[in-house]
Amino acid sequence: MQPFDYIVPHNFAEASALLMAGNDDTRPLLGGTDLLIRVRGGFIRPERIIDLKQLPGMCDIVRSAEGWLVIGAACTMNQVAGHPLVRQEYELLAQACESVASYQLRNRATVGGNCCNASPAADSAPALYCLEAVMEAYGPSGVRRIPIHEFFTGPRCNALRPGEFLTGIHLPPVPSRSAGAFNKLGRTKIGDISIVSVAVWAEAGSRKLEAGGQSKHPERVDGATRTAADGQSKDAERLTWRIAIGAAGPTPLRAPEAEAALAEDASPEGVARAAQLAAEAARPIDDIRASAAYRRGMVAVLARRGVNSVLARLGAAPSVVGGQP
Amino acid sequence: MNHTIHFTVNGEPFTLSVASHHTLLQVLREQLVLTGVKNGCEAGECGACTVLMNGEPVNSCLVLAPEADGATIVTVEGLAHDSQLDPLQEAFVAAGATQCGFCTPGILINSRALLDRNPDPTDAEIRAALVGNLCRCTGYIRIIDAVKAAAHAQREVQP
Amino acid sequence: MSQPAGKRTVIGASPPRIEGREKVTGAATYVDDMQFGPSLLHGALKRSPIAHGRIVRIDASRARALPGVRVVVTGEDFPGLTGLYLKDRRIFALDRVRSVGEAVAGVAADTPEIAAQALDLIEVEYEELPGVFDPEYGASPEAPIIHPELASYEVVPFVFPQPGTNISNWFKVRKGDMAQGWAEADLVYEHKYRVPHVQHVPLETHVCVAQQNVNGKITLWSSSQSPFAQRNLIAKALHIDHSRLRVITPYVGGGFGSKAGVSMEGAAVALAMHAKGRPVKLRMTREEEFHTTFVRQGLVAILKMGMTKDGRITAMHNRFYWDGGASTEYGVNITRAAGYSGTGPYYVPNIHVDSYCVYTNHPVGGAMRGFGMPEIHFGIEQHIDEMAHRLGLDPVEVRLKNCLKDGDETLTGMPMHPTGLSECIRKAAAAINWGQETVSYSSTKRHGKGLAAMWKAPAMPPNPGSSALVRLNEDGTATVSIGGVDIGQGALTAMAQFAAEGIGIRVEDVRVNTVDTDYSPYEWQTVASRLTWSMGNAVLRAADAARTQVLQAVAEAWDEDISDLDIVDGQVISYRSEESIPLKNICIDGVQRKDGTFVGGPVVAQGRFMPDYVTPLDPETGQGPRAVVHFTTGCQAVEVEVDTETGEVQVLKIVSAYDVGKAINPELVRTQMEGGAVQGLSTALLEGLILDHGVPRNPNFTDYRIATAVDAPLETENIIVEVPQDDGPFGARGVGEHPMVPTAPAIANAIYNAVGVRLDSMPLTSEKVWAALQNNDI
Ligand SMILES: Cc1cc2nc3c(=O)[nH]c(=O)nc-3n(C[C@H](O)[C@H](O)[C@H](O)COP(=O)(O)OP(=O)(O)OC[C@H]3O[C@@H](n4cnc5c(N)ncnc54)[C@H](O)[C@@H]3O)c2cc1C
Ligand code: FES
Ligand code: FES
Repeated sequence: MQPFDYIVPHNFAEASALLMAGNDDTRPLLGGTDLLIRVRGGFIRPERIIDLKQLPGMCDIVRSAEGWLVIGAACTMNQVAGHPLVRQEYELLAQACESVASYQLRNRATVGGNCCNASPAADSAPALYCLEAVMEAYGPSGVRRIPIHEFFTGPRCNALRPGEFLTGIHLPPVPSRSAGAFNKLGRTKIGDISIVSVAVWAEAGSRKLEAGGQSKHPERVDGATRTAADGQSKDAERLTWRIAIGAAGPTPLRAPEAEAALAEDASPEGVARAAQLAAEAARPIDDIRASAAYRRGMVAVLARRGVNSVLARLGAAPSVVGGQP
Repeated sequence: MNHTIHFTVNGEPFTLSVASHHTLLQVLREQLVLTGVKNGCEAGECGACTVLMNGEPVNSCLVLAPEADGATIVTVEGLAHDSQLDPLQEAFVAAGATQCGFCTPGILINSRALLDRNPDPTDAEIRAALVGNLCRCTGYIRIIDAVKAAAHAQREVQP
Repeated sequence: MSQPAGKRTVIGASPPRIEGREKVTGAATYVDDMQFGPSLLHGALKRSPIAHGRIVRIDASRARALPGVRVVVTGEDFPGLTGLYLKDRRIFALDRVRSVGEAVAGVAADTPEIAAQALDLIEVEYEELPGVFDPEYGASPEAPIIHPELASYEVVPFVFPQPGTNISNWFKVRKGDMAQGWAEADLVYEHKYRVPHVQHVPLETHVCVAQQNVNGKITLWSSSQSPFAQRNLIAKALHIDHSRLRVITPYVGGGFGSKAGVSMEGAAVALAMHAKGRPVKLRMTREEEFHTTFVRQGLVAILKMGMTKDGRITAMHNRFYWDGGASTEYGVNITRAAGYSGTGPYYVPNIHVDSYCVYTNHPVGGAMRGFGMPEIHFGIEQHIDEMAHRLGLDPVEVRLKNCLKDGDETLTGMPMHPTGLSECIRKAAAAINWGQETVSYSSTKRHGKGLAAMWKAPAMPPNPGSSALVRLNEDGTATVSIGGVDIGQGALTAMAQFAAEGIGIRVEDVRVNTVDTDYSPYEWQTVASRLTWSMGNAVLRAADAARTQVLQAVAEAWDEDISDLDIVDGQVISYRSEESIPLKNICIDGVQRKDGTFVGGPVVAQGRFMPDYVTPLDPETGQGPRAVVHFTTGCQAVEVEVDTETGEVQVLKIVSAYDVGKAINPELVRTQMEGGAVQGLSTALLEGLILDHGVPRNPNFTDYRIATAVDAPLETENIIVEVPQDDGPFGARGVGEHPMVPTAPAIANAIYNAVGVRLDSMPLTSEKVWAALQNNDI
C-alpha cells in the first residue's frame, strides 16, 4: 500500500473537521475491509485515514429511551449478529450479518462500513431496509438523520455530505409478532458476495406496548404503511410486509407492489404472485457474477422462500416469534 | 508516518515503531519474524494470515499496524505451550490435514477460536466456521475430521 | 532383495508425514519466510496492459532517477529466448507483447512502495495489433500471426510447429479405417465441449529471491517444482554456467503444475545480475498469480464417436483446439499428451485425432494437475455417457465393455500393460450404489449419480532421470538427498519409507532434505506424478546400495555370507550366527575385524533411474511401440443434489478408485484422492478465468471462487486398487494428478442424471444449470 497517515480523532468535532479539511485525500476507517482493499488496489490514494472506531458510542449497541435499538456505526458484523437484543427482536439483521464473508472477516467488518461503502450487494442493507432503519450522521452542521432508503444513493454512493460521517444505525421498535428471513445466493454455498439477496419482513399491524418499554417513536418514518388495527391480530391478512432486494439494482430496493399484494393475499398463489412482483421490481444488470435474467429469476425464488419461511415462523409460534414473550 | 505501538504477541509484550500503512501481517512477519503467519492474498479472502486479536480471529492483512496498539495477539507460533502441541496441532498431523502446509497456520488459529467458543462443534458448524480459510490441497475433509478429533481430545482432558 | 517372511515392512504402512510437526507449528520455512536482512531489494514487473501490440518505445529514465530505485531492466538487456519444449518466450518482452500482463520491464528498489512508484514512471508506448482470443479462430488462416518467427524457434524433436500459422504443435493419430468405423456404428454422435482457462491457485504465490555474489555466482531461492529445470533453463537463457547458478527450494506452498518450469524466476535473476550483490525478492501478488505465471490452457474439443447398439465403440474422430496463450513453451507438450491419450481409456479400432496447440493473446498456458487430461475427459466422458443414454444402455456397462484391458492396443499402438481399470469402475459404481434409484427428498431438490473413468500417463520427454543419495549418520539414522520437491503431496514421507525399507531402519530415523542444486542429486522435475515411481526407484536403489555397503563390511569382518545378514530396525543381524550389532556402531567407523583392524567406512550410496524404453512416435500417424512409460487408470462416481429452482449443485458424495500399482503410504494416497477430487469439484462447478479481449476480469478470490469447506462433498470414499507396475518400486505408480481428472465429467453426468440437462461448457455454474432447465422444462 502507498503510504498514508493514520489518525485517531479525540472527538466528533475533530473527526468531522479532519474529514472536512481533507476532502478525498482523507478517508474514514471502520473495519477497513472495504477501504483497505481499495487502497491496496490503487483505486484510491488517501493521504490520511481517520479511524473512527474509538469515538464514544461507536462500538455500542443500546436501547434508546424511546425503545429504538441504536447500533454504533463501528459495531462488527459478529457483534451485531450475536447481540441478545438483535437476536430476539431483529433476528433478520442477525441473519444478514452472519451471511457476510467469513467469521474472521465479520470480526472486523462493520454494519456501518457496509452501508457507507454502499455496494448494491451490501448484505446488511436489505435487512435494514425492511426494518426501516434510520442512519445517524455527524457533521459540520451537527447530527442528521437519514432514512436508510435515502442513505443509499447509487453504487458506492451515499447521502453523506462533506465532513459528515455515520455514527449509528437506529432501528425502530418492532411488535412482538414479527419475523424476518434473509436469503442470499452466492456462487459458493456460504460467504460469497451476493448474486442477489432478498430480505422479507412481516409484522402484525398493531404496535402493542411491551414490558420492555417500546413505544411509537416520534421520528418514526413511514409509519403510514402500518395498518391501524389494534389488539391481537391473529389473521395473516393484517400483517404488514416488507421486501427488500440486494444486488439487483443500483441500490438495494424495496418491492412495494409485492408487499401490498402480500398484505392482501398470502395464500400460496398470492405468495407466488408477490414473488413475481418482487422480481419485476428488481433492476438487475449483467456482470461477471451473473446475468440480469438469472438475477431476476432468483429474486422471485428467494422472495418466495423468504415469505414462506416468515409465514412458517409466524404460524408456528405467534406469540414469541421476533419479540419478547 | 510511524507510530509507536505497545502490544502483546504470544504472551510477550512488545513496543514497536510501525508505519501507518503497514498491516499487522507485515509487522508480525517482517518486524517480529513470526513467519508462521502466511500471506496468501492480502485481501481478506484466503485466511492464511489469520491470527487471534484479543481472543478473536481476524485477517491480519486487513488490520493496520497502528490499530494493533494495546492488543493481545496470538499466532500459530503461540499455539503450543512448552513444546506441548495444542490438541489441534496433534490432530492435524495425525489426520493428514496438512499437505503443503501453507493454509495450516491460519486454519489452526481459526479452529482454535472455534473450539474456544464452541467446544463440541458439528460438522456443519466446523465447515461454516472455516469458509474464510482456503485450502487448495486437502479438500477440507481431513481438516474437518481433525477439528472434530481435537475437540474430542480436548474434552477428554478437560471435561 | 529377499526378505524373511514376517519381517516388518514400512511399505504399505501409513506413517504420518515426516514434516507434519514443522508445518503445524509454523516452523516450516517457505521462500518468503527466509530472512535476507535490510539489503534486500524488492522487485516488481511492469506489465503490458494490452493483449497484442508492438512496443514502440520504452522510456525508463524517470524510474531510474527515482531515489531508492537500484535496478531497471528491459527486454533489450536480456534478448535470449527460453522455454521447456519450445523456445518461444523471453524474460521481458522485446518488440512485441502478446498478452495482458506480459512483463516488459523489471525494477528492484529499496522498498515495495518505491518499486511500485517506479513502475508507474516507466513509460511504454504500444501500437496495438489485432488479437486472437479463440483457439479455433487462431488455427484458421484468417487469424493474425502471433509468432511470425515460429520457424526459427528451437524445439524438441517430438513437437511439430506449423510455421506460418499460430499452431505451435500438431499431434496426429491415424489408425484403422474411419469409413469402416462409421459404417459399423449404429449411432454416430458429434458434439463440441469447452473448458475455460483455470488457475492452479497454490496458496503460496510464486516467490523467489535471487542474489549474485562478487564472484558472479548466483543463488536463487525459489518456490519451485523444478529446481533443476530452473537452473538449466535460466542458465541457458542468461548464458551463465550451470555451476554458477544454484537453486534452493525449501518448503513449497502448493504448485499443482504452476511452479513447474520457469515463469517469473528468470526476471528475478536478471534483476539480481545488476543489483551489485544485493538480494532481490520477486513475489507475485494474488492478482499476478492469477494470470501472469501460468494458467491451465483453455480447450475447445470437437468429438465424434461411433457406437454399436450393444455399446461397442467403433470409431472416434476427436479434434482438440488448445488455447495455448501467448507462449506455448510448456503447452505444446500438453497438446501432445492430449493427443496420445485422445480416446480416453478405451479400446477403439478406428481413430483420427488432431490435437492443435494454438497461440492466442491469452495468458501463458502451462502444466496443471492432470496435464490436459481433465480437459479432454470433460468431453469424452460426457460423450460416452450421452451415447449410452441414447442407445438405452447402462453407462457403466458401456465403459466396462470398451475400457482398456491387459494387452489391448492403445490408440498409439502400444499394448496396454496390466491395469485395474475395470476393477476401479466396478468398485466405484458399487460404492455409489449404481443402479439403485436415488431418493429425491423434494420436487425441487433432485438427486442424481454420475460416473467417469480416466487414464493418464506421465507426460514428459522419453528419458527424464532421477537420482538419490543416501548417507548414514553417526547415530544410525539416514539422510536422504533428492532433487524432487514435496509440494504437499507427501514425497518426503514416501521417500523416507523407501529409504527405511531399503536400509532396514525406522521411518522416524530417516531425514529427507529439501532441494539445493549444489548438493542435491539431479531430478528432472516434480511433475507428471512421477516421483513415487521414478525418484522412488532411485531412492530405493540408493538405500539398497547403502545396505549392501554395510552388509559387505559386516560379512567380511564376521566372515559370513552376505545372504545370511540383514538389517532390521537399525540392527545388523546374522540369521546364521544370530549375532547382531547396532548400525550406528559401524555405519561411519566401519566394522572391526577379529584382528582388531577395521573394514568399511562412512556409508554413502547413490541410486538412479531413467526409463530407457520409450520410443518415438510416427509424426504422421502417432503410432509407435511404446508411447509412454505407463498409464495410471481410475474412476470416480458422484452423487449430487440439484436445486431445480436455483440451479445450485451440492455434491453429496465422491467415490474415487484408482489403480496405484502399490500404495506405498495408503493414507497419503487417500489424501491425494480426496484433495484432487475437491479440486476437480471446484474447477467443475466454480472456476474459470474470465478473459475479455485478453483482460482478466476476475483475478482475485472474490470473483474467481474456489471451493471452500462448505462446498466440499459431504462424504468421500477412497478406494485403492493395486495392479503392480513392473518397473515401479514395489509395483508403485503415481496418483498425484489423476484424482481431479474425471471429477468434472462425473459431476456433469450426475447433473444429467438428476435433472436431464447436459452442460457442455465448464464451469457448471448454478446459472447454467438454471438456464438449461428453463429451456428443458422437465
Ligand atoms: C473477502 C471479503 C468478503 C466480503 N464479503 C462480503 C459479503 O459477503 N457481503 C457484504 O455485504 N460485504 C462483503 N464484503 C465487503 C465488506 O466486508 C463489508 O462491506 C463491510 O461491512 C465493510 O465494513 P468495514 O467496517 O470494513 O468498512 P470500511 O472498509 O472501514 O469502510 C467502508 C467505506 O466506508 C467509509 N466509511 C467508513 N466509516 C465511515 C463512516 N463512519 N462514515 C462514512 N463513511 C465511512 C470508508 O472510507 C470506506 O469507503 C467483503 C469484503 C471482503 C474483503
Ligand atoms: S492474506 Fe489475509 S486473508 Fe489472505
Ligand atoms: S495444505 Fe496446501 S493449501 Fe492447505
